[in-house]
Amino acid sequence: MSHKILGIVTFLYLFIFFLHVLYFAVKKQKIISVIWAGFFAAIGLHTTGLALRWLESYRLGIGHAPLSNFYESLIFYAWSISFILVVMKKRLSFPVITMSASIIILVLMGYASISTSVEKTIQPLIPALQSNWLHIHVFTCFIAYASFAISFISSLLYFSSWKGFLPPKEALEEINYRSIVVGFPMLSAGILTGAVWAHYAWGSYWSWDPKETWSLITWIVYAIFLHARMMKGLKGKKMAFFSILGFLCVIFTYFGVNFILSGLHSYMV
Amino acid sequence: MNVIESKIYRLLASLKTAIFLLSFIAASSIFGTVIKQRAGIDEYLSLYSENTYRIIHFFGFDDAYHSPWFIAAIVLFATNLTLCTMGRLKHFIKTGKASVTLPDEKALAAMKMHFFAETTIDGPVISSLKRGYKAIHEEEGGLVLEKGAIARYGVYIIHTSILIILAGSLIGLIFGHKGFIVLNKGETTSSMSIRGSNKEMPLGFAVRCKDFKVSFYPGGQPKDYVSSIEVIENSKVVLEKNIRVNDPLNYKGTYLYQSSYGAAPSFTFNIGGDEVVLKERDTYEKDGLILMVVRFENAVHDFGPGVQLAYLDEEEPKTVWFLKNVERLKERNIKGVDIRLESIAENFYTGLEVSRDPGVWIVWTGFASILLGLYINFFMYYRKVYIRKTDGGIIVAGHAFRNHYAFREEFEKLKKRVLSQ
Repeated sequence: MSHKILGIVTFLYLFIFFLHVLYFAVKKQKIISVIWAGFFAAIGLHTTGLALRWLESYRLGIGHAPLSNFYESLIFYAWSISFILVVMKKRLSFPVITMSASIIILVLMGYASISTSVEKTIQPLIPALQSNWLHIHVFTCFIAYASFAISFISSLLYFSSWKGFLPPKEALEEINYRSIVVGFPMLSAGILTGAVWAHYAWGSYWSWDPKETWSLITWIVYAIFLHARMMKGLKGKKMAFFSILGFLCVIFTYFGVNFILSGLHSYMV
Repeated sequence: MNVIESKIYRLLASLKTAIFLLSFIAASSIFGTVIKQRAGIDEYLSLYSENTYRIIHFFGFDDAYHSPWFIAAIVLFATNLTLCTMGRLKHFIKTGKASVTLPDEKALAAMKMHFFAETTIDGPVISSLKRGYKAIHEEEGGLVLEKGAIARYGVYIIHTSILIILAGSLIGLIFGHKGFIVLNKGETTSSMSIRGSNKEMPLGFAVRCKDFKVSFYPGGQPKDYVSSIEVIENSKVVLEKNIRVNDPLNYKGTYLYQSSYGAAPSFTFNIGGDEVVLKERDTYEKDGLILMVVRFENAVHDFGPGVQLAYLDEEEPKTVWFLKNVERLKERNIKGVDIRLESIAENFYTGLEVSRDPGVWIVWTGFASILLGLYINFFMYYRKVYIRKTDGGIIVAGHAFRNHYAFREEFEKLKKRVLSQ
């Protein structure tokens, strides 16, 4: 059941993407409202899909939140981006931004459901993951990753010269900065909740596990970004470059560590 | 302070140095994620050439996060952060002590956000302006309001928290201990082993493993493993607890964690009428019959657990499987002796991680205060509103020290409120 709903959600995001294309073709303001209605419907259905998967896991006798393997994390990452869009609607109401976000969401949902190397079934939770810290840790980390994805989008758009479609440069800078301001405390909370959890599960709040280390590297990059922005007036292309560097670290923390490096966090198969 | 001292001080206290040190720490952290840490020499030599290993070892990349240069970078960073924050705090206190003044009309009109209103400065206008703001200065010609003053402390809270966390982890490094314990069911120990050395360290009390249980999901993955542990002090049981993953035992600041488990199975055979208990690698010899337990498998194909025995047949070594769940293969005749596998006992042992870290509460305090600081710093902001009498009415101007976007909206609302009076 949850599987079907998540399939419908994917098509809904695809529909939203085409609405953007339509908007750029005819430039009717009405389409924008339809796009936002679409996002609200999608996040509602997406949440339902995740909730049903959670319920289904209980029916299988291995009840746990759908936050435990690679498939579930991809779906949850897509959900987080959608969530950030809806929450920051007022600031992100630029069609290029929402279109780019819908592309990222589509890639995540598509990869999760099409790739054969991603295990889609609900799997039992290994003892190390059986903890309430799982929910808050994964939630904070992915909200952070999602905010950073938005800042990444605005940084990429900063370099494009799509006349007539782009928001003013200052607006892109503001979105870039603002989403990092949301993401940074969330990433901090994600790292700290992870550390507390590690203390109870592994016996040490910090063990320089590759995932931990890369999240710290990411944290440092964004910390430097914020200091450079607030104290030294970082802006323009330099700022966009910096933000892209930060997001590359995010991608490596999320994917790279799992596929390239091994460590305590290697749950995702 | 002489010239050189003050130069060093300024260098150590600068933001540039902070950014340099943080970049260095971030970049050098990568080594430890791509090179295996704290492994044995053999493991390195199987991965790298001897010369490469020599370089890795020389620079401490095989234990990157405890190498002198990494620790030096962190110590320098802590010093820098302390000086940097203290410098800012000094400046903050100095400007805070200076009395608040109301700029003149020209200066207010030059501010990005301002408006004129044809109204007097008293009565409902003032009370509508003051809503949510605090008046910090009032004079004949007008007043100064502020909001979100606490936001200015956020940065100090964050920086102090980082120092608290570093201090807590330093205390853990100096006064803390880590080790592990392996216990069979029923066994007692009062010391732990230190990883990477042959040393044993006293626990200060004894622990006994009363019981160990492991349960599996239908698919075979481990679901839960539990050690029933007794803490014994002065030959009295002072604490009893079931330790499972994510649920450690804490006795006087020493934590015991369920970390691993294993099994050393034993097999009960009936050999020609005698009950014999053998473990893996054990041998049995009687009347010229020599048997040895070679292998144990939890699942021999689909037939369940099995034990493989080896024996000599005319100087030629031969092996034979005994399968516990297959009646026909439970009993064999080897060289005229009837041998029957009676039972297999799994004999689980439990692996416990031991950690004593007196700094952990300091670290938790740092965590809590850094989250508070981040919230204050990023989700609150400081702004001032100035109101001054003019010839035809009043001028209202506003300035936010961050988050101009949100303040613009707030200021617009304020403007509407005043103009509608």
